[in-house]
Amino acid sequence: MFALKVARRYLLSNPSQTLLLIAGVALGVTVFIFITALIAGLAVRLTEQVTGNSAHVSLEPPARLARVLKGPDLPVESVALISTFQRRQIRDWPMVLDLLRADTDVSAISAQISGSAFLVKSEAVSPVSIIGVEPQGIDAISRITPNIVDGGGDLGADGLLIGVRLAEDLGLGAGQSVLLRTERGVERQLTVRGVFRTGLQSLDERVAFLSLQTARPLFLLPEGVTNIEVKLRDPGDARATALFLAEATGLRATPWQEKNLGLEDALQAQAQTGTLIQVFSLISIVIGVSSALVLSAYRRRPEIGIMRAFGVPGGFILWVFLLQGLLIGLTGALIGCATGYGLCLWLAGITKPDGVQALPIAPEQGGYVAALLLTTLGAVIASILPARSASRLDPLEAIQQ
Amino acid sequence: MTRVLDARGIEMVFHNGDEETRVLNGIDLTLDRGELAALLGASGSGKSTFLSIVGLLLRPTAGELTISGEPVGGLSEARRADFRNRRLGFVFQFHHLLPDFTAVENVAFPAAAPAGGISRDMRSRARDLLTRVGLEDRIDFPAARLSGGQKQRVAIARALMNRPDLIIADEPTGNLDRESADRVLDLMREVNREDGATFLICTHDEGVAARCSRRLTLSDGRLASNVSVAVDDPSV
Repeated sequence: MFALKVARRYLLSNPSQTLLLIAGVALGVTVFIFITALIAGLAVRLTEQVTGNSAHVSLEPPARLARVLKGPDLPVESVALISTFQRRQIRDWPMVLDLLRADTDVSAISAQISGSAFLVKSEAVSPVSIIGVEPQGIDAISRITPNIVDGGGDLGADGLLIGVRLAEDLGLGAGQSVLLRTERGVERQLTVRGVFRTGLQSLDERVAFLSLQTARPLFLLPEGVTNIEVKLRDPGDARATALFLAEATGLRATPWQEKNLGLEDALQAQAQTGTLIQVFSLISIVIGVSSALVLSAYRRRPEIGIMRAFGVPGGFILWVFLLQGLLIGLTGALIGCATGYGLCLWLAGITKPDGVQALPIAPEQGGYVAALLLTTLGAVIASILPARSASRLDPLEAIQQ
Repeated sequence: MTRVLDARGIEMVFHNGDEETRVLNGIDLTLDRGELAALLGASGSGKSTFLSIVGLLLRPTAGELTISGEPVGGLSEARRADFRNRRLGFVFQFHHLLPDFTAVENVAFPAAAPAGGISRDMRSRARDLLTRVGLEDRIDFPAARLSGGQKQRVAIARALMNRPDLIIADEPTGNLDRESADRVLDLMREVNREDGATFLICTHDEGVAARCSRRLTLSDGRLASNVSVAVDDPSV
């Protein structure tokens, strides 16, 4: 393609200007990629912080609705009362577990009996959320046993694992006994087997774990469970998985996003900020390329004029300038992608003394394809104005310049 | 004899607000194939305007123009561009070569751009033309590094690339020293004599005009004189 050859020659004729132009585009693309990777990394870190020690999908029995009673014996419409004493439960939970185990997107499952209770130690009383779990699955949802700071992680028949803040509030330590009084009024003396510190206030201050078998009599649930907590390989799939599980089981399935609407808003705001920065990067690229090509077209007016005098079609000249934009955009974008990736990799490797990344950057999520396509397209769009003006140049006026 | 140019009643009026400037005032002119015509006249006499009209770079206000038997007055801009490309050749005072291309690429350019590339035949013809203008040792030389005279010879070769019916030259030697100017003029005469190419040369230089077979003088937008002279000795 002859227009491509001409475009390439034009760019190579002034290497320093072309290099500067490409460097400018590459810089814009590097910023684009850095921001994209940083926003993605931040989102991953925040999501991990929120979902790392909690379930991605929670399954609970469906809400009970008051039924309207009608019948010939009833003089007026009546409403059946809902018993608040009868605890809602998932009776056929083993079947649900089988279904979940067959799902390859599911990484961990925990059938639980959850309820409220008080821990009483002498005069000290503290409200607590009780979670009854299968002892071997205690770490399925939250990393409890790796975070034990006092005692061990074995629940046993009467064991209890409590958070470090709760232990401090009640003056408890591993090996000490404590009275548990449930919302059902059932009391039992249990032994603190271990104290954990997860770093999450909600867990460390208000949660106590015991075995499922220990929890059953305490919450008057001889067979069922109150909820099934599910972890997924990709937390982003939670909404779709929740929809599927709700349909398949008839249970109420809640994705983690619905429990953390504030986080979702924050992530959205963060993503919008990132998009704004990306848009401004692209605009600066477009303006830079356009102004450089406008100058080039002006400088080459006599040449373009002579081409037009020779009857070279305006379309050919249009292509010469569009292709210059394309070459600048593509080259700059490729260099920018490589530089951006390198920068992100380098930043991702910088860690704080505790081993945590200094910047929560995700180099693999730099939006490279988008950067490449948008920049190249932007540069071509930027060249439209100078290309059109060059292709419409009056040859006589240009030659006489 | 084949009629190459037939201009009848060419008028050109420029408007600048309410001000009207009449530059050409009814010019009739014919040129036959193989003529070497010099267009003389004082500055402002309308030479360049007439040349631009004949070169289809400007539309006259009135008059009819026929080139190589084809009326060109009603052609669209795209058709005029195509016509210029196929039938006309241009040599300007400032060569306006493409500095980033070699001599052979510059010569081939008028054929290559519409075709989308330089074919083997185009390159061969461009080489032949450069050899003919005495630049066989500068064929692949960057245009930017040629001397002024060499550049103008490349420009002449470029004008001949598409075998035009009419070559329009606007002060082709005006920017050259005497020696280079003579070489360029000799070259145009040689092409005229050997190929039968028709030239319309706009010049201020009486020396250039003296070596042409026809002298046309414009004055106040009119063709004041139209004289054919015999130039038998090619070395004159």
